[in-house]
Amino acid sequence: MKKAWIIGLNTFKESLRRKTLYILLVIALIVIGASKAFSFLTAEEELKMIKDVSFSGIEFFGALIAIFMSLYAISNEIEKRTIYTLFSKPITRQNFFIGKFIGVVLILTLNFILMCLFFIGLLIFKKSPPDIQVSKALFLIFIELILIGAITLTVATFASDAFNIIFSFFLYIVGHLTSYGNQLIDRTENLILKGLGKILYSVVPNYENFNIRDKVVVGIEVSRNYIFKIGIYWLLYLVIVILIGSYFIQKREV
Amino acid sequence: MSIIEIKELTKYYYIGRNKKIVGLENVSFSVEEGEIYGILGPNGSGKTTCLKLMLGILYPTSGEINILGKNQFDIEMKKNVGFLPENPYYYDYLTGPELLKFYGKLYDIQEKILNERIEKLLYLVKLHEAKKLALKHYSKGMLERIGVAASLINDPKILILDEPTTGLDPIGCIETRDLLLQLKNQGKTILLSSHFLSEVERVCDRIAIFHRGYLLATGTLRELIEKYNAQGLEDLFVKTINDFDKKGDR
Ligand SMILES: Nc1ncnc2c1ncn2[C@@H]1O[C@H](COP(=O)(O)OP(=O)(O)OP(=O)(O)O)[C@@H](O)[C@H]1O
Ligand SMILES: [Mg+2]
Repeated sequence: MKKAWIIGLNTFKESLRRKTLYILLVIALIVIGASKAFSFLTAEEELKMIKDVSFSGIEFFGALIAIFMSLYAISNEIEKRTIYTLFSKPITRQNFFIGKFIGVVLILTLNFILMCLFFIGLLIFKKSPPDIQVSKALFLIFIELILIGAITLTVATFASDAFNIIFSFFLYIVGHLTSYGNQLIDRTENLILKGLGKILYSVVPNYENFNIRDKVVVGIEVSRNYIFKIGIYWLLYLVIVILIGSYFIQKREV
Repeated sequence: MSIIEIKELTKYYYIGRNKKIVGLENVSFSVEEGEIYGILGPNGSGKTTCLKLMLGILYPTSGEINILGKNQFDIEMKKNVGFLPENPYYYDYLTGPELLKFYGKLYDIQEKILNERIEKLLYLVKLHEAKKLALKHYSKGMLERIGVAASLINDPKILILDEPTTGLDPIGCIETRDLLLQLKNQGKTILLSSHFLSEVERVCDRIAIFHRGYLLATGTLRELIEKYNAQGLEDLFVKTINDFDKKGDR
């Protein structure tokens, strides 16, 4: 575990020195900041607008960062052949994979905190400091981002970058549409199609589970119980994804 | 017992469903403690494949690898081995000392000892004046040299070097050669691959000639020259390879 940490910290340090991260972060902050530009709205409407745009911005740009940083974390080691040297060290391949995961979590945490501080700053400036509901929404977004990163990391252990990018974005979109998908599945008559649909529905991560922002924006309370339930869902999903990644990194030839 | 033993090692690469490429075919040899063993061979002869298999980077199709009495995946064994990959390339954004520190930490070396060792190694490979320079600004020769330093960070018993002098200028080659001999005098066992015949001739105690994944000959230079009735290493190299290709044609 200590070795995974060392690899994680190195991944983190490296990504801090590259520009991509900052570009994404700056765009995200601009988007969040722009939510304040609708000055024709009433104060209450404006506040909703700020929350709505900020939650979406943090989630979307967080997802972009999660996907690109995870992709880079593994594929760059392979492309630049630094992985040869790493695999010749006294570490297991699982150490390597978990290390990369730790690195991605560190990167996401830093970015997430920066985006949140900016958002919270805006709220305080608007004399409406964040309440417990806002923090619940942010918490769910954060764990969602970790899951998105873990999935891209795992796919990187066996697939090409091009496939991985397409797959990760596809999953991001489909994962947000699962409830529509489920309705569609319920309506189909064809049994085979229905069966396949059901399987797909249960396998695809339901990112919409992590989305309580629509409720929070309009002031509907979300119970702690729900957060807990989704937390368990997240943890199970994450563990399975990481196990799959650990399995494939073991088999990988570079 | 030999410090490294390779038994009937075979590696096939599969491209798509049916296309099989021979990386290594039934290769056996052993390396004795304290010697410098050189693997020679033309491009694509399987040198890199062999070294990667020995470090558990690739999985063999069949055969066995034994290093320090352990197999190639053993973590304890790896603590005593240093590896320099072919055309090494490292994390762009780190500096030389940062790179060495990162690798050193993976060996659980005590902080103080590690720092001293990094200092010493940077002097050894003449990079102590480039401490603040990120690796992306390194020249090819500097990368090769930081690679050598990185492979020595754990003070290994066995050094495995894949073409350590590619990309070095003549002075760099001579310096590397001297370094290898110096390391040998410290009691290290060195396995290196190369296609610079003169370099191999000067430093290696024993050599192996690889071609198309096969090990054609192994022994001391003198033994081999006698056996093949050759004029020198170059002649030996050409002879063994031509003999093999002729046999294949028939
Ligand atoms: N990942 C791979 N996939 C498919 N074939 C490969 C792969 N790596 C090596 N080969 C093939 O295996 C054979 C041996 O390659 P290898 O890299 O071991 O040779 P080498 O002796 O190191 O050559 P060089 O002197 O050019 O470094 C070559 O025919 C090569 O094309
Ligand atoms: Mg090679």
